[in-house]
Amino acid sequence: MAARIWPLVKLATKVTIAGGAVYVAFDSGLLGSSEQGSEALEKAKAAVPPALEEWMKYFGLEAQRPTIPRIEFSPVNSWNAGVRWTISSLSDAPTRVSEYTSQGLEYIKDLVK
Amino acid sequence: MSEKELGKKWDRCLADGVTKLGTGLGLGIVFSVLFFKRRTWPIMLFSGAGLGMAYSNCQNDLRSQYLLHRKKKEQ
Repeated sequence: MAARIWPLVKLATKVTIAGGAVYVAFDSGLLGSSEQGSEALEKAKAAVPPALEEWMKYFGLEAQRPTIPRIEFSPVNSWNAGVRWTISSLSDAPTRVSEYTSQGLEYIKDLVK
Repeated sequence: MSEKELGKKWDRCLADGVTKLGTGLGLGIVFSVLFFKRRTWPIMLFSGAGLGMAYSNCQNDLRSQYLLHRKKKEQ
């Protein structure tokens, strides 16, 4: 009797777990529109530090949570600055090349004299 | 659509993509472990479905500016 029911119980448990996972994902807006997704991300970001603190207290690590150092580095600004530098170098390149060429020729002429 | 708005839409698209990929991955792992004997294909299937949902959302979001919306039509 028990041998027959056990596979059914296993299947029911698995279906419950999988169904619960899908429901949680759906309910928290993870499978909805982009606004709902970003809301869920904000909620998760807000919930992480207190949860982390609670876990550290639970494990007895009362040490100060390492604060993430604020890095004053903006990749967007660096990228834009790089693009600007590249384009301005490209636009100056013909002028500079002709200058250096003429300087080089002058130097060689002086050498030959 | 101003550049700022467009930038925000793209940011939302990327965030949504990452969220849905992660969700798909998670659900794929759950299903793979529970029903499919830890095979890889459910994970790939669910992750791909998540990415596809994100792509569709992004497409709708970027196109919405050029569509006539129902509320305005009823006016």
